[in-house]
Amino acid sequence: MDMQTRKETNATVVTINGRLDAVTAPEYEKKLNELIAGAEAGFVVDFDQLDYISSAGLRVLLATAKKLKGKGGQIRFANVKGPVKEVFDISGFGSIFQMEDSVEAALAKISA
Amino acid sequence: MITVEHLSKKFGDLVVLKDITIEINKGEVISIIGPSGTGKSTFLRCLNLLDRPSSGSISIDGVNILEAKADVPKVRQKMNMVFQSFNLFSHLSVLENLTIGPIKLRAMNKQEAEQKALNLLKLVGLAEKADNYPDELSGGQKQRVAIARCLAMDPEIILFDEPTSALDPTMVSEVLSVIRRLAKEGMTMAIVTHEMDFARDVSNRVLYMDEGLIYEEGTPQQIFENPRKEKTRAFINRIRSCNYQISSPDYDLYAMNAEIEAFCEKQILPRKTRHNLLLLVEELLQLYNPFLRTMPLDLTLSYSEKKESLELVCESKGEAVNPLAHNLLPDELGLIIINNLAASIAYSRVNDTNRVIVLMKKS
Repeated sequence: MDMQTRKETNATVVTINGRLDAVTAPEYEKKLNELIAGAEAGFVVDFDQLDYISSAGLRVLLATAKKLKGKGGQIRFANVKGPVKEVFDISGFGSIFQMEDSVEAALAKISA
Repeated sequence: MITVEHLSKKFGDLVVLKDITIEINKGEVISIIGPSGTGKSTFLRCLNLLDRPSSGSISIDGVNILEAKADVPKVRQKMNMVFQSFNLFSHLSVLENLTIGPIKLRAMNKQEAEQKALNLLKLVGLAEKADNYPDELSGGQKQRVAIARCLAMDPEIILFDEPTSALDPTMVSEVLSVIRRLAKEGMTMAIVTHEMDFARDVSNRVLYMDEGLIYEEGTPQQIFENPRKEKTRAFINRIRSCNYQISSPDYDLYAMNAEIEAFCEKQILPRKTRHNLLLLVEELLQLYNPFLRTMPLDLTLSYSEKKESLELVCESKGEAVNPLAHNLLPDELGLIIINNLAASIAYSRVNDTNRVIVLMKKS
């Protein structure tokens, strides 16, 4: 698992790399929970470097979004493309989540 | 016409033919197909005694040709052979290649033998090459001369041992069209070939050889469209497969992915297909996970080169359960993904085994 975070004025940008699958999903979930517990309320998840996602990864994203919503927070996805986008589309996630073409566009939506 | 019973052939300790029993009737065209090294050519060579069978019997019109008193040259005249590498006499002209047999073995006079040879060369479309030498001919022309030479001995049956294997692809059709013509004229033939379309078109009967046996035989339609046995199916559909045993919920997904990637690499599957296959396997394993501790999973991945299709067979022994219908996960995300990646999913209970066959959508 390789996850980087950086703080922007209105949100935390989370960049995930490689694979979000049954093996890495628990670690991602743990890290995201830690961020939420640390009072972070705005998230942009950057998928630019993600090559693969399975249902295990989708569940982590869904659980994270639910937790944030419970706290009045927001989450936006950026750079969802290629095979990852296809999995989003076939699972119906494409219509559940707000997706933007760039991190900047996602950040702009959060501040809106 | 020819009856073969319990024929076997060993080379030292190596058993090439185990137990061949077959009848070949007059006018039949029999294609012999199967993987390399399964005894097809040895079978033909045993039939006309180029290789002496280790046991069994071969009878032509009721006469056992394996008896000591059998007239072997006469047998070979009745059952002539066309070889993969032509076996023409390079120091003789095309015409002489055709006349030497009839003159020396059948005491035919030279003029009659030459007239017959010219007629046969016309039949194979090479009359104008009568005075040429084999080295002056293309591969396809050499093989047509070899067929004409074979016909010059008036055989009752012709044995073809991979007649097109040594040919440039552009020359295959000219040889096959000569054989097709002979089939139309009622010549009895046994043909070892890797040309599946040809075997399907020209034959009355197809023998699939494997493990030194006639593993399956039937009409071309039966063998090519509805083979009954697993190895025949795998050969006809050019199926490659690999198998994984998963007996713990803590299986190593990445080690398995590496093996699947290597399998896909061998079959030269596109990147997208590989991605979808890895996803499908992971999702299936997620659904099987709750059952793995009590019911180990046997997963077979098969790729049919002919159909360009990928199939996953998941087998688990134990209580009757279809893990795809008993989703113990908190949602149906995995099933949704599987259904999207699959062209078909079928569950069946075979004896004490649950079997789920997933055919992947073509990507």
